[in-house]
Amino acid sequence: MRRYRLNSPFGRRTALGLLGAGLAAPFIRPAAAQAAWPEVTSIPDALKGTGEVRIATFGGTMQETQQKAYFEPFEKLSGIKVRAFPGSDPTKVKAMVETGNVEWDMAQLSRGSIMNLQKHGDYFEKIDYDLVDSGVDAAYRFEYGLEMLVWAQVLAYRTDTFKGAVPKGWADFWDTKKFPGDRAMVGTSAGGWPEMEFALMAAGVPPEKVYPIDIDKAFESYDKIKKDVVKWWDTGAVPIQLLTDREVVMTTVWNGRMAALQAAGVPGAISWSQGLLKRDAWGIPKGAKNKVNAMKFAAYSTMAIPQARVALGIPYGSVNNKSNEYIPAERLQVLPSAPAIKAQLVNYNYDWWIDNREAVVNRFNKWLLS
Amino acid sequence: MNMSGRDARGPKNLVPLLLAAPLLLFMLAFYALPVVTMLMRSVSDPAWSLSHYAALPDDAVFQKVFLNTLYTSVIVTLGTLLLGYPVALALVRTRRWAPVILILILLPFWTSVLVRSYAWMVLMGRHGLINEALLAAGLLERPLRILNTPLATQIAMIHILLPYMILPIANALRQIDPSLARAASGLGATPWRTFRQVILPLSMPGVAAGVLLVFVLALGFYITPAMVGGPREITLSMLIAQQVDQLNWGYAATLSAVLLATALAIIAACYRLPGIGNAFRMNTR
Repeated sequence: MRRYRLNSPFGRRTALGLLGAGLAAPFIRPAAAQAAWPEVTSIPDALKGTGEVRIATFGGTMQETQQKAYFEPFEKLSGIKVRAFPGSDPTKVKAMVETGNVEWDMAQLSRGSIMNLQKHGDYFEKIDYDLVDSGVDAAYRFEYGLEMLVWAQVLAYRTDTFKGAVPKGWADFWDTKKFPGDRAMVGTSAGGWPEMEFALMAAGVPPEKVYPIDIDKAFESYDKIKKDVVKWWDTGAVPIQLLTDREVVMTTVWNGRMAALQAAGVPGAISWSQGLLKRDAWGIPKGAKNKVNAMKFAAYSTMAIPQARVALGIPYGSVNNKSNEYIPAERLQVLPSAPAIKAQLVNYNYDWWIDNREAVVNRFNKWLLS
Repeated sequence: MNMSGRDARGPKNLVPLLLAAPLLLFMLAFYALPVVTMLMRSVSDPAWSLSHYAALPDDAVFQKVFLNTLYTSVIVTLGTLLLGYPVALALVRTRRWAPVILILILLPFWTSVLVRSYAWMVLMGRHGLINEALLAAGLLERPLRILNTPLATQIAMIHILLPYMILPIANALRQIDPSLARAASGLGATPWRTFRQVILPLSMPGVAAGVLLVFVLALGFYITPAMVGGPREITLSMLIAQQVDQLNWGYAATLSAVLLATALAIIAACYRLPGIGNAFRMNTR
């Protein structure tokens, strides 16, 4: 019952997302949803096959978009049936591989959680890069996973509170004199990764010098904002709720969530400057029954057009450099992968976090409770 | 010695066991075994040792979280007791309104915790119903902070756990022979004295059962504190979830063992109280 962690509501982007999206959905203008999407008309024979592939996703509107953007077209083009399951979670992959009962052929995770598990044992298959499209940026490829979705963790604020002043970057977020009001930031209660990068940039560290993170300096900087943070959130629906209910005037958010807030008519905006560019990745659990099909699907879903289709359905970006050709300029303005926005973001360094996450989280707990 | 009598008794004693066997096997396979497997990790992950337990006395985070969890559980238990006892009394005393009261108690019981937490957010928010009403009535100049504080957690948890307090107390009150109260007043006791010296002591098993249920359930709360609680509020369940997510399964298992041991210790302590067994006896009157 409620005694233990309920997986679905707090598996980061799952059920709460559904709730938030469900509330906002009626307000989304049909014009945006019905814009013509580019179609893939044929695929190389190497991506065709038989049987099925079982894919774990984060559910919600994300999965709905994925269904239309690449699950359905892939089925038609390849002859491989796609079965999608919401509720992807690295701890479930760990349990599946350890018990030899691998129910997913592929899971949407992050490079961080894939490499973190891989550090503890052999949980993932290597990616077959011969199949992968040349347009996929080298930065998004790694041995045990293929990044497949670009999103941003950014500053968001209520546009009706600062008399037209626009907060830009973390020094402004920390400046409660110039921008008075309560804040919310990512906490660690459900396994979140603290926003050490933001703390450093608030203390004047230039974006390109954020990594390797100076942990002491980050916590010194955190000290200065602690009393103004009324909520350390752990799932993406929370900051949207806090902004909507005017509990906070400024918070960090996952960029995709702001579309729902704006569609619901709440005066809120994203300030992209100094945000973090994060990615989700496909990982193939070790021993997956249909791993060959999973490879084929991973390759297909990261081609230019399938990636562009996702970006048209939900404001998350593409890992394929050629996708932007298929996306109208108006849409690019809300995508973290658009060149003008990407330039303002800091590439999240999963490698640093894999080595330091445990130490940082434990210290964050201590710091928060002190 | 009567051998035949003994023979007859043997198979009869097996009947209850056989009746319970399917459930016992089910619990063993799908509950006991996984729990034991998980708890074993506290001594076997990453290597066989008691190091996870040995580290707990120096673990400041664990201690603060554990104390906070206990403190919240105590407050919530007291709150449900103070609010729940009069309701239980009313439930037993009024014949006409009892069904209505029962439905009012049970209705929120059937609503998901998540939905109720959202409801509390709407009510207790800075611009929520409570604040707006107090502001409009001129009782406040600036909105109070209720949401995202420990108080919000306590209010929401009391609401969620109230039925667990009311129902056992009502059950105990219903078992009290009405002639006892009549005898007390016949002997000249005031209603208050009758309550204090007759009703209250006789209802104690129900109170003990309610306290036990509420306290143990409150120990494991996770969603409510995360959603409506204050920025520094971490409960033991939240810490466990965080450590599972971080793949520190050995440490998470150790924390789970502490939580389980605390709950078992409280149950054991309560069972030693005289008469508590009565509270769980079904009353068909």
